Amino acid sequence: MNASSRLPTVDRSLANDDVIQVSGLSKSYRVYDKPEGIAASISGLFRRKHRTVHALQNIDLSVKRGEFVALLGPNGAGKTTCLKLLSGIITPTSGEARVLGHVPWDRENAYRRRFSLVMGQRNQLWWDLPASESFKLHREIYRIDAGHFDRIRDELVDLLGVRSLLLQPVRDLSLGERMKLELVASLLHEPEVLFLDEPTLGLDVVAQHAVHGFLQHYQSARRVTVMLTTHYMKDVAALCQRVVVVMHGSILYDGSLAAFIDRYSTHKLVTLEMSNAPNPALLARWGSDVEVRGPEILVRVDRTQVASVLPELLEIPSIVDITVEDVPLEEIVASLFRSNDSGNSRTHDGAPA
Amino acid sequence: MGRYWRVFATFAVAGMVRDMTFRTNFLIACISSIAWVAMNLSFYVLVFSFTPELGLNTGWSREPFFVFVATGLIINSIVQTFFMPSAEEFSEMVRSGGLDAVLVQPLDAQFLITCHRVDYSSLANGMVGFLLLFWSLLSTKWTPTPVAFLLYPLFVISGVTILYSFIIGLAAATIFLGRNQSLYDFWFYITTFSRYPMEIYSGPWGTPLQTLCTFVLPILVVVNVPARLLARPFLMSDTNLAIWSLLAAGVSFIVSRRVFTHSIDRYRSASS
Repeated sequence: MNASSRLPTVDRSLANDDVIQVSGLSKSYRVYDKPEGIAASISGLFRRKHRTVHALQNIDLSVKRGEFVALLGPNGAGKTTCLKLLSGIITPTSGEARVLGHVPWDRENAYRRRFSLVMGQRNQLWWDLPASESFKLHREIYRIDAGHFDRIRDELVDLLGVRSLLLQPVRDLSLGERMKLELVASLLHEPEVLFLDEPTLGLDVVAQHAVHGFLQHYQSARRVTVMLTTHYMKDVAALCQRVVVVMHGSILYDGSLAAFIDRYSTHKLVTLEMSNAPNPALLARWGSDVEVRGPEILVRVDRTQVASVLPELLEIPSIVDITVEDVPLEEIVASLFRSNDSGNSRTHDGAPA
Repeated sequence: MGRYWRVFATFAVAGMVRDMTFRTNFLIACISSIAWVAMNLSFYVLVFSFTPELGLNTGWSREPFFVFVATGLIINSIVQTFFMPSAEEFSEMVRSGGLDAVLVQPLDAQFLITCHRVDYSSLANGMVGFLLLFWSLLSTKWTPTPVAFLLYPLFVISGVTILYSFIIGLAAATIFLGRNQSLYDFWFYITTFSRYPMEIYSGPWGTPLQTLCTFVLPILVVVNVPARLLARPFLMSDTNLAIWSLLAAGVSFIVSRRVFTHSIDRYRSASS
């Protein structure tokens, strides 16, 4: 039974700009706790112990048209589950969601024609055939007019620089080339909402940069709504204005990237370029984690102390230059994950079979 | 509906391109398939060198029986070419999460899952089946009526529908079980019953088996009904069986469709 038919009717008065509206969305799984050893496996034939994993708990979220939102969280936080629910692949345990006015898990064709899902770790193109064959199938499935299809395909392959790869079997392509063609396939029907699940997973720096550039250009040109899950903070810094942090199936933070850094970054990174050999002991009183890198010396200064510390530092005669930066996003996020990690990646209840 | 035909045609063309890409594999598959049929036919020829017909007064002498075998080959060839390869992949799609990509497409999931792969090498058996049917009809003393020729394709489709429904039902079980290779084996075991005329299932063990495989799991009507149309004069009991065959095809399809839809709603997707 679909959750949509079990649940009370949601408020259909979506604000004009609210493309995604989620309320109290939860997803739980019952999983088999398989004990080790042959004896336990045999006894498992007759009696099994299960537990309930709460992958998502009571999520509330709304995304406006044209927003580029990053869903961040450690492995098992519930990011991909959220995307799978919003794309209708799985049904929720409870809660409501509307994307473009549709309940995703009703799986209406009218909805499925309007979004796209790209999963970095899954291949959606025909493996043994050139991508052009998969594109033809896409044209038929989405009923795209032949002339229009040619124009869109040409535009996308030129933007990503993959024209020469169209006739090469997908199995012969590199991971980066394959991901670019996956992106082309996912955008041929001009989706209004794009769900990206770790699209740069495993890509080298050059390929990551190319994907960033493309997504940035495409999203701003088309005003597509994008939800992105990633573990690469370079993706987030390059693409997203808004960050949603998910931990243990719940939303921990939802706001702008700048506000996220302000809120969770306790220090600033001050880099001093010295004219003579730097002496770390000299700077210890102004900050922590003093590190020498050639003629430069790095020191972490408490954010609230930066204004008072800088004039004092400027009085050191051997200083040639001073740079003040935010702590790298990776560090802020890692520190946040660590501080909120209570030992288990997801909350769960013990439940005997 | 036109869109489904066009998508299916795209699948068919892609299957052809794939088979032609790995042409040696394709040729080996064709040859081994035909060799398997040839060995079976040799065995039946050997059997008929000892007996004029299968069972006393059953009417299944050599040529009518070869009509039966040819019909079985044609039906199984259609299933093996168009549906079985996709159904075999379904278990892996569920296990690996590949089903996710299917469920976001704006087309019927059952259609996409069961028709996305075409295996042309399995058509070789069907071609042998047509040749065998042609030869058997020329050799037999009985000439089928034009109505029988017209009805034959209808009951072949009916038989294919029943087998397709079994495949769908068993494939859908993958979602509940996570892995169901043994259920596919079960499919092959159960369809073995459909390879022989139903008259051989008689006696204290055979009759209950015949009833079970005709009315509960209607495997026996798959080949028996269309084969009877061309193999020998159609009896009143055959008419009832034919009507039941059409009914069974409809019911099987509806039930399998419901099982499939229910299963898809329970799909959990694999962790990524």
